[in-house]
Amino acid sequence: MKTITYTLTLAAALLAGNMLYADDERYERGKPYMTETGKAATLYKTECGACHMAYQPEFLPKRSWKKMMQTLENHFKTDATLEKEEYATIQAYLLRNASDAKPVFGDIGKIGRKIPADQTPLRISETPYFKKEHREIPKRMILQKEVKSIANCAACHTKAEQGNYSEHTIFIPNYGKWDD
Amino acid sequence: MKKTMIVLALIAGTSLYGKTVDAYINQLAAEAKQQNSAFQGFSAQRGKDIYFSKHIGKRGKEVSCASCHTDNLRQGGENIFTGKKIKPLSPSVNPKRFTDVKKVKKWLRRNFKDVYKREGTAQEKGDVLLFMRSN
Repeated sequence: MKTITYTLTLAAALLAGNMLYADDERYERGKPYMTETGKAATLYKTECGACHMAYQPEFLPKRSWKKMMQTLENHFKTDATLEKEEYATIQAYLLRNASDAKPVFGDIGKIGRKIPADQTPLRISETPYFKKEHREIPKRMILQKEVKSIANCAACHTKAEQGNYSEHTIFIPNYGKWDD
Repeated sequence: MKKTMIVLALIAGTSLYGKTVDAYINQLAAEAKQQNSAFQGFSAQRGKDIYFSKHIGKRGKEVSCASCHTDNLRQGGENIFTGKKIKPLSPSVNPKRFTDVKKVKKWLRRNFKDVYKREGTAQEKGDVLLFMRSN
């Protein structure tokens, strides 16, 4: 019994140490707070990611995701309706990972925190910090056929799908690296 | 108790069987016949017309299925609005296509609404499925 208690304590201590270390590292490198993996996250990626990048749920607050899920019949002028079961799983996933559901670090966290409390944006690209960060990008770079729209994160943010939007991962088609 | 389990397993078995794409197509055929007694079976030619005909879609732009899925079903396509790549429709190059009935139903429902701004009828769905599966 003593040995078991000892082992458990040791394991817990190691785990706590690891988590602290991981948190620090994430924060320092400006990485987002991306935690959830598993069935719901995979479902979100296959369902929503079939038409566009599966934007990290940490970008928007709960009220935005609620509204999004209520308007899937006309989702940015496209039918994005889901079956009941998938709907429930995805909605719950979005709500428990929303910007105001947990601490979110890094660039993604900044976007969420700077959304005014009286606004319910559906487009991440219309939030204040997003606009500020993209204000110097010429329109032609966004409208070119390799990018198509400001919503196509992964066209320039080469690690967007992994939640990494740091500057050194940017590569704009027909232009190259972006230096602020 | 044992009997209940067996019965439950049988029910589960039949409903699984009912979920195959072929069974779905048979179901569409029955519906089409019910809606139109002159229905003689699905037609790949009619399906081709459905696939290529252009309509002012949900986004207010003239589109057809081919706008994103291209004229050649053995080629990959691209969502013309988001840029997301789409795998080929033709089962001859993409064997996973049309194997998951849930997916088939979902995309027929959504894409008819996107292009035709309404749901497809049973006959239209069967026609276009036949065309896509045989190309």
